[in-house]
Formats: sequence, structure tokens, C-alpha cells
Amino acid sequence: MVLLQIAEPGAAPEASTERQVGVGIDLGTTNSLIAHFDGNDLNVLTDDTGQASLPSVVYYGDSQTLVGADAERYASAEPGNTIASAKRMLGRSREEFEDDPYIQLTPGEGLAFATDAGTKTPVEVSAAILTALKDRAGPQLSGPISGAVITVPAYFDDAQRQATRQAAELAGIKVLRLLNEPTAAAVAYGLDEQAEESSVLAVYDLGGGTFDISLLRMRAGLFEVLSTGGDSALGGDDFDRALAVHLLDELSIDEPTVVQRRVALALARNAKERLSDKTSVDLDVSGLDTAASEVTVSRSTLEALLFPYIDRTLTACRQTLADANVDTVDRVVLVGGSTRTPAVRQAVTDCFGLEPLCNLDPDQVVAMGASRQADILVGNRQGDEALLLDVIPLSLGLETYGGLVERIVDRNSTIPVARAQEFTTARDGQTGLVVHVLQGERERVEDCRSLARFELTGIPPMVAGAARIEVTFQVDADGILAVSAVEQQTGARSDIVVKPAFGLDEAQITDMLKAGYEHASEDMLARQLGEALVEAEALLDGLLAAMTADGDLLSADETAALQSDMKNLETVMAANQPDDIRGATEILGNACEVFAARRMDRSIQKALQGVSLSQLESDVVEESTP
Amino acid sequence: MNATAGATARDYFSLFQLEPDFALDETALERAYHALLTQFHPDRYAGKPQVEQRVAAQFCADINSGYRILSDEVSRAEYMLQQAGVDLVAAERVGVESTFLMTQISLREQLEELEPSDAAGRQSLTEEIEGHYAGSRDQFASTLATDARLDAARHWQEMCYLSKLLSEPKLRVS
Repeated sequence: MVLLQIAEPGAAPEASTERQVGVGIDLGTTNSLIAHFDGNDLNVLTDDTGQASLPSVVYYGDSQTLVGADAERYASAEPGNTIASAKRMLGRSREEFEDDPYIQLTPGEGLAFATDAGTKTPVEVSAAILTALKDRAGPQLSGPISGAVITVPAYFDDAQRQATRQAAELAGIKVLRLLNEPTAAAVAYGLDEQAEESSVLAVYDLGGGTFDISLLRMRAGLFEVLSTGGDSALGGDDFDRALAVHLLDELSIDEPTVVQRRVALALARNAKERLSDKTSVDLDVSGLDTAASEVTVSRSTLEALLFPYIDRTLTACRQTLADANVDTVDRVVLVGGSTRTPAVRQAVTDCFGLEPLCNLDPDQVVAMGASRQADILVGNRQGDEALLLDVIPLSLGLETYGGLVERIVDRNSTIPVARAQEFTTARDGQTGLVVHVLQGERERVEDCRSLARFELTGIPPMVAGAARIEVTFQVDADGILAVSAVEQQTGARSDIVVKPAFGLDEAQITDMLKAGYEHASEDMLARQLGEALVEAEALLDGLLAAMTADGDLLSADETAALQSDMKNLETVMAANQPDDIRGATEILGNACEVFAARRMDRSIQKALQGVSLSQLESDVVEESTP
Repeated sequence: MNATAGATARDYFSLFQLEPDFALDETALERAYHALLTQFHPDRYAGKPQVEQRVAAQFCADINSGYRILSDEVSRAEYMLQQAGVDLVAAERVGVESTFLMTQISLREQLEELEPSDAAGRQSLTEEIEGHYAGSRDQFASTLATDARLDAARHWQEMCYLSKLLSEPKLRVS
């Protein structure tokens, strides 16, 4: 179905000429995976040694960059050059990590790591991981990747989602959609396709660095997130750290070195994993440089250490149930390697009163679901496919007087969403207004996350309270925010796509991409040109067909203006410059937006007619339906 | 670029092809909502030119707003008053009638005296509030239908108060 070539409901879908390759990527805190679904088989792609999980670790040495297990090997010897769990820092601020003894930050502003290969931001580290995953696809798939569905914790705020998109952009991956991880897990179990009555599903996702609990409702092919909760800084890493601290205490190491901390962490992780099957394990602690050579850890010791963390997850579960006003759930799905811990499984079973689904590998289930959705979004399956509706995880608002936050978009609103609110000036003759955008649930500015500040200027001087400034928040299907402010009487306006204050700005991204292009091969340039031409042709073809079908929606002037922009694009296409083609495509795209919107309005009628006809036999049809 | 285009101008009843009636058929609303989203969700345009994705996102934002407003009785009532040109700020300044104020005070007192362990008391208070709410709602519907807009605005305020009371943590099952 193409917006500019709207098909009749029920008409045969346009056939794709060739199968597109869509992949699902789980960019995890501890491990990352890539999976591909070809319509029949679902494969989690592996590396040369047959490993599916890629440790989310990057090593930046002075002569080489390594990703995954190869990078992990440097963790003890060169901790400063070996970056793990970078996802925790995606889109976040320096202040949140300054006291963390496990991270070596660069001096000065911003959140970045000092390595022998230079300063590296969390976005760059994530891009390196994505690139390594993308490289797996080359030898194992039938063609180049057309697009990817990348999963993010449901809890991710705007800045974190933006940073994830930037990482993909740096890695040269086209993002079809950012999908909430729990939603992907439910898709992996095929729960979206089960034609049962409306049922409620809880997805309990305890990974390495994040905990998410999501309640989803499924009915008749629709898949809706009712509410989400959790903690973006709680996970198996905390289990490891708690046990590492316990080990260091046991051995009376009061002021551990960075290396000792690392070794203790590795020992702790190993012990935790082995304690899933055993009731007690002996650890060789000779690597810690102390008198003792062995320490015994029992499962009950571990469970006592884990209790406060598991309890926090259950509190979040109950809160999320209350948010959705749901008393009982019909199913529970377990996601994330930390759900292998027996104490976690038992706690979840007790909390929800039913046995959770866990027959798919909890480490792979998210990537598997994402790959199924990627296959749909890339255009291989058409017709009445299940639709995944997501919600915004945190409320959005603006700073008002007295440091208070005025909420504009409530959390758990279904996205895409747009909301407008009117504000006014506080002083006589005020000509500018600072718009401070915040995300979070608390009432005071300092308790919420600051997303952006911008200034609306050009307000005509009036008495206080006379100006009418409408601020509109628009959140797209990925949960990414755009804000605009308009003074109603003069039309003075400011637009801003909210860029992560703690990530990279657009110029930095462009520079990095350019640096990449300079070293790029002829092949890469040819590919870029090809992509630009395909996008331009798709727009031209669609628009031409639309103008033939619904030309009556345009005035003569509008038609002439569009034709001129089309002609311009065709001229530019002949010159083979990717940047110019993209520019002219964008101009034409903007120019035909109003036309596309009018066509959409016209097609509403048809969309709803299809529905009433199909319901005729069993339901009463509204009298108003023509 | 026109973020607000259509966002406030669209009539939500006609968007979902429903009669502008307070007592709307919720099944029909839900069916129309799903039908529109199924066709126009931005995911349907994932590989398409950006203009299509943008227009689809704006349109879906509208569909979501419309559904959110119409699917809830209190916000539907507020929306219908706005559409009828009632100045809600002025109406709120006038407030509710004194008999309702007395009801308000009595319900609030009962809520405050409610012991957290008293499940039966919670149940009966909930039912009492629900009864008042149903009364206000029916009066809203009939006054709006007869164009007694200021009366309707008053009953809408009663609905607001009572539905808020029903969502008090003390009344919700833990």
C-alpha cells in the first residue's frame, strides 16, 4: 500500500519484484545479536566460530579496533581501551557517570571515553558493534541489507532513542523502526498472530543493564502496549557488581585497583552463571593478587545479594499493572539472560501467579522478533499484517514558572501522537520565549530530564498575557520528538527536532560520515548514488500516478509548482551527484506534502467502507455509513 | 512542516464516520480506529519516500488523539461541549450546584474515613460514586441533546469530579 498510490481495500497488493533483506538487531547492554527471517526460516546469524551473541564490548588499541569476544580479551590488560556496556551511557549525561569507578572518562565536557585510538563516544562504540553485526550479514544472506529493525528498551527516553538512531546512521544501517524490546519478544513467540480473544501479556525483561516490564494487549491482529515500566539502570550487571563487591569484602581488599575490580567482576559473572545449575561453586581468586587462592560462594549467598534488585523489579511490575488498571495477566514472557537465574524465575512466577513462557532462548528472543517485524516493514509481506502499536514511555512537558513542569503528552499515550498547548508571556513587552522541553514524571524541572531548550523570537511587544504561543509536540512512531512553537497572531515560529543534548549533534554526525566517505571505495559511492536514485524515482513515480488519479485535488498553480519541482529533480538526477539528488528529492517531498495529506483524507472513506462491508453480516452497521 | 495542520480542526466523529451522539457505539469506534490505523500507520510506509511517512505520522497522531478523546466518556463530553462552542473556563467559574457540592463533601468524607482493610466499605463507596456518576452522565446526555449547554457543562464538571474520585488510590484494589 503506497500513500501516493492508494489501493482499493481488498484489492490485490502490489507484488514486490524481488525479496528485500530486512534484519532484526538487538543492540544489548551486554550482548548484541542480529537475526534474519526470510519468510520461512528464522536465523540468528553467527560469527566465524558459530557464536550468535556478540559481546557488546569494543577495544580501541593504538593499532586496531576489535569488537566482541576479541575485544573482551583486553578487558583486564587494557581496561581503559576496552569499552563495555556503552548502551547504559547512550544519550545520557556525564554527571550521571562521574562517580562510576568502572568507567574512565575523558577530561572536560561531554560523555566520552579516553582510549589509545582517541576519544570515543557511546554512539561511536554502539556504531562499532552495529557494524560488526552488519558484517555478519554479508556472507550469510542473499543480498545486501535493505533495512533493520533495531530494538530499544521500552523505557528509553527521546535522547536515548535518538542516540540509537545516530549509531545506526554511523554504521550505515537504514533503520526501518525502533521497536521496544518487549514488543519484539512477544512477536517472536508469535503471540501477535494468535487469533484468540483479547488477552493481556506481561513481558519481563531482565537483561545485563536494563529492566523492562511491559503490559501488552493483543486482539484480532492488533498489538497494543498498555503500559511500560522498569528501570534503565538495573540488570544482571548489578548482580555481578553486588557479587564482586561481596568477593572483594570477603578477601578484605579495601581499595581495589581498576584491574582488581575487573577481575572480581569477571569472577562474579562466572559464579552467577554456574549457580543457575549448582547450589555452591568454588572460585579461583588467584588473579586478584591476595593471599587467598579460593573462595566458595553458595546459591543462598547469591540470592541474598540479589534480593533487593529482584524486589525492585517486582515493585515495578506492580506499578505497571496499576498504571494499566490491570489485575490479572494471561501470559508472561521471560526475556534476557538474567531470567535464567532460578531466583528470578521463581519471583516472577509468584508475582503473576502463572508459569512464564521461556522455551525460546531468552538471549535471542528479542532479535528473533525484530527480524520478523523487519521482514514485514521491508515490504516482503503485504495485506492485513499485524500492526504494532507502541506508547511513549515517559511524559513530555515544558518548564513553566517556579521551576514546575507542565505536562503536555502523558506517558503511555499511543504513538505517533501530537499535542498542542497554548502559553503566554509573563512580562509587558516581552519579545522572546525560552521553551525548555523536559521528559519525566516528576513535577519539578530538576527531577526531570532536560531534552532541549530553544527560543521563540519575534513576538510583537504586547502587555503580559496577551501573546498566544502554541507549542506543539509531535512524537513519531519511533518515539522521537519534534517540537514547534508558533505565536498565533504574527505567525512567528520555531521548529526543532529534539536532538539529544548529550549525544552528538548533526554536524558531528555529518563529519564522521564524511570522514568515512573520504576513505570509501568507488563501490560505496556507487551504492550511495544508487540509493539516492531509487528514492528519487520512487517519489517521482508515485507522485505522477497520484496526480493522474487525483489531479482534481490540486489547483492549476499547485500543479504547475509541483511539475517544476519534478522537472528540477529529473535534471539533477542526470548529473549523478548523490547529495544534489537527495536535496532535490527533499524539496519535492516537502512540496507534495499537502497533496499527500489531501489524498489521505479522500481515502479515509474507502478505508472505513471496507470495514463496514466485512462486518455487515454479524454486526449492526452505523446508519451514517453510506 | 505544518505540525498543527488538521490537529485541532478535524471533527473526530466524522473522522471515524460516527453520528455526533454522546451515546456512541464504542464497538464501532474501535473498529473504525483499527481500520484507519491498519491502513495509515507509518509502519505501512517504512520503505516509502519520506513525505509519505511524515504525512502518515501526522495523520495517525490525529487518529490517536481522536480515539483517546472519544473513547473516554469524560473527555468525549468535554470535546462535545467545545464543539458546541461552550466556554469551558467560564463554565468552570460558575461551578456546580450546591446540592452537588453537598454530595461532593459527603463522598470525600466517606473516602477519608475508609479504612484500607475495609474491602466491603470500599466496594459500597465505589458503587455509590458510580451511581452518582451514571446519574450525572445521563443528565449530561439529555441536557446536551436539548441544547441546554450550560446545564450540560455543569453535569460535565460533575462527571470530571466523580471519575477522578473513582481513580483515588484508596479505592483501587491493591
